[in-house]
Amino acid sequence: MAFQDPLARFAEVSADPLGYARAWKARTGRPVIGSFPMNFPSELAHAAGALPLIIQESDDPITVGHALLFPFYCGYTRSTVDQAAKGDLAVLDAIMFGDHCVQLLGAADAVRVALPDTQVIFFQLISSMCDPWTFGRARESFQKLRSELEDFLERPVDDAALRESIALFNRNRALIRELYRMRVDGRVALTAAQMQSVVKSSMVMDKHEHTALLEELLAAVPAQAAPDSTAPIRVHLSGHFCQAPKPELLNMFEECGAVVVGDDLYHGFRYISTDVPEDLDPMDGLARWYMDRNTGVPCPTRVQNDVDWDAFLLGAMRNERAEGMIVLMAKFCEPHMYYYPEVKEAFERADVPHLLLETEHEGMAMEYMRTRVESFVELVRRRRGVARAALQPVEGEPA
Amino acid sequence: MNAPVQPPKLPGAANKLKSTRMAGKLVNEYWEMVWRAKEEGKLVCWYEGSSINPFLEAADIVWVHGEAYSAMLAARHQEGPAQAAAEERGYSRELCSYARTHLGCAVNNQRHRNGSDSAFADVPADEDISAKLPPPDMIISAYAYCSTGQQWDEMTSRLFGKKIPIFNVSIPWIWASGKDAGYCRGKEWEETSVYVARQLEEMVKFIEERTGKPYPWDRLRELMRNVKRASELRLEAMDMCTARPAPATLFDWSVSIAPINQLPCTTDIVDYFTKVRDEVAERVRTGEGAVPKEKYRLFFDGIMNWNKLGWLAEKFAKYDAAVVAGRYTHMAFWQEPDLIDANDPVMGMGQNYLICPNNHSSPILIDLVMGLCEKYQVDGIVFHATRTCRAFTNPMHLIAETAHSRLGLQTSMFEGDVADESFYKDELLNTRVEAMLEAIDARRLATA
Ligand code: SF4
Ligand code: SF4
Repeated sequence: MAFQDPLARFAEVSADPLGYARAWKARTGRPVIGSFPMNFPSELAHAAGALPLIIQESDDPITVGHALLFPFYCGYTRSTVDQAAKGDLAVLDAIMFGDHCVQLLGAADAVRVALPDTQVIFFQLISSMCDPWTFGRARESFQKLRSELEDFLERPVDDAALRESIALFNRNRALIRELYRMRVDGRVALTAAQMQSVVKSSMVMDKHEHTALLEELLAAVPAQAAPDSTAPIRVHLSGHFCQAPKPELLNMFEECGAVVVGDDLYHGFRYISTDVPEDLDPMDGLARWYMDRNTGVPCPTRVQNDVDWDAFLLGAMRNERAEGMIVLMAKFCEPHMYYYPEVKEAFERADVPHLLLETEHEGMAMEYMRTRVESFVELVRRRRGVARAALQPVEGEPA
Repeated sequence: MNAPVQPPKLPGAANKLKSTRMAGKLVNEYWEMVWRAKEEGKLVCWYEGSSINPFLEAADIVWVHGEAYSAMLAARHQEGPAQAAAEERGYSRELCSYARTHLGCAVNNQRHRNGSDSAFADVPADEDISAKLPPPDMIISAYAYCSTGQQWDEMTSRLFGKKIPIFNVSIPWIWASGKDAGYCRGKEWEETSVYVARQLEEMVKFIEERTGKPYPWDRLRELMRNVKRASELRLEAMDMCTARPAPATLFDWSVSIAPINQLPCTTDIVDYFTKVRDEVAERVRTGEGAVPKEKYRLFFDGIMNWNKLGWLAEKFAKYDAAVVAGRYTHMAFWQEPDLIDANDPVMGMGQNYLICPNNHSSPILIDLVMGLCEKYQVDGIVFHATRTCRAFTNPMHLIAETAHSRLGLQTSMFEGDVADESFYKDELLNTRVEAMLEAIDARRLATA
């Protein structure tokens, strides 16, 4: 049962991130610093002795939040504002962010009004990734955020502590990446919902505690039988940026005969894809990390003319031996809406099947989605054994 | 009980400024120039958002403002083919309709080019106006506040196979951190201004690389002298609209956006705003109102609904409501001419880009809106909840709440969009505006 114990804890924290934060705060007496996705380096808050927590979409229906944001906003922003207006985010001593998705900015303004006792700290990160000054500006932005955090906490964040936090976070990311590798190779059987809770809880929990649980989990991985040819179809999950897809949706994919072998979800590989170099000055290292992660797993919220998300996806799928891709698009997420046609065209050119599903904060038509996923699984299954154009490199795709 | 507000019935109720008719001619001439650009061997730059056009005009580059093109198509009800082309490529209709329309133009443009790099090479050409837009030789992205703007430019570049050089100017949001933060002041403002100005200097180098010529700074100074003067005249005329009845309304100022935003910065724009200012002054002198029986004065919060510009002007006029000011018209477009030193214009230009009507976070923004509501003595605010422009809808609820609590104003919201007519719901607007006007009446009676 040792394998199941850490997973159960991850799932528990993922289901109630703010409950975890309240308990942690009560236990330690230390501040909790929330952040908005997707690029705030939580190492800074950790090094300051706080609990960094990436604010999560809640399952609760939107109620009071309707008075602050229109319904044509993504579920993440509406839910965040709703949680703030209901007082659920009161456990946060401060909120820090540098991303500037236009919907997030609307949410941030509303959150600041709804939480007068919570300091909301913003310094806009450069989102144009190829400029000669991108690195310098990213470094400067992180330095600004660090200074504001120091002012808020009335204590310096010293470099030695920051280095330790970076090393700890790197270790945590590396362990989760190892789980990802093991899942691809069939050395570990983790459902998509379990993998999500591993990552999501890492966004919330004390990093020492989470890392210790990960080590326990990896040490207790049971041996797996080699998959046979009637095994479920292997899919890559793509999209969904700021919010975690609902576990029941992920479970439904598996019920329909798919197994998720890889993803680029923010509540997935995107979050843990990239380490902060430890051999640099820590602020240089954070700026490097910011740039490297967009090269590693391109993000539609950044603009970078020399990387292609679609090519990354095709390459990732080849490595994962994925047979099809399910794209999860959060309704009203503009960056995703912009890029999806590129992805669609590239996948059609490469003859790799994919299915687009639009998700909503509440009221998702699960049965309709199930029918579509079943048909998709059937389609992919029928293609088994057929030579796939995807195995040929496509233009712009990394080797 | 007060009498219910009468539904609109009179034709042609809006008494529009005559001087703004000139705008139509200037706009046509401008687009004709754009359409001729390739024949004349001119370089073409596509850009959105900030008015960087003087930088381009000075270097003899033909500038295409994406929003302006989409707005023009929508105002002429010719947006259909572009939007259909965008939808065909998979752009969701929930995406900014300015961007969607403009990207549709790029798609159509690719169809016509029939280039081997184009995914649309095999689609037959068609003759709609969206496809007349000359393809870009360069793209400059300088969008304040809205991430959607920057992504739109990136997508344009990708639609053209990433073969067009693109330059990004990052214009950060003014979050109002620090005790000294305020409108055009404080450390954050100063530092951000310098950051933007530096990038503009780099942008000029990018332009030099494209033209292969040293940048003509003298020409830019000359153009900026015209811009500064035109802006002063525009603001002077707007200020006169505090008069009762208001001599001009938001709809006159909407027609006057093109001359201040993207038309050639020649003395034509100075002449245009001189005439507008003079006509407004004359109306003030004679007591002539833009709405003949002005009974209500309203503030319009939100970006314009270009498909419905004339329609809305009539509608409000028929309600005897003068829409005297708005966030879009009165808080943007070279809004702070005093910041521009025509002899050394870059910093002031960058600062004006930072003052887009969204680029200050809510504490500053709300104060500015409340200031305008007080200045123009409005009775209420109409919010245009633009379905696909979240940049404008972001602070609306906060503004509405403050308008109630701080100024005791009535408010109403209606749904619409910048360039996609399908989101506009006329019945909803009628009911909500009527309810608001009735509430204003009731309040007047109560305090009489
Ligand atoms: S990136 Fe998408 S999910 Fe994230 S805040 Fe923006 S719209 Fe919402
Ligand atoms: S959403 Fe609004 S502000 Fe943003 S690019 Fe579109 S029109 Fe401009």
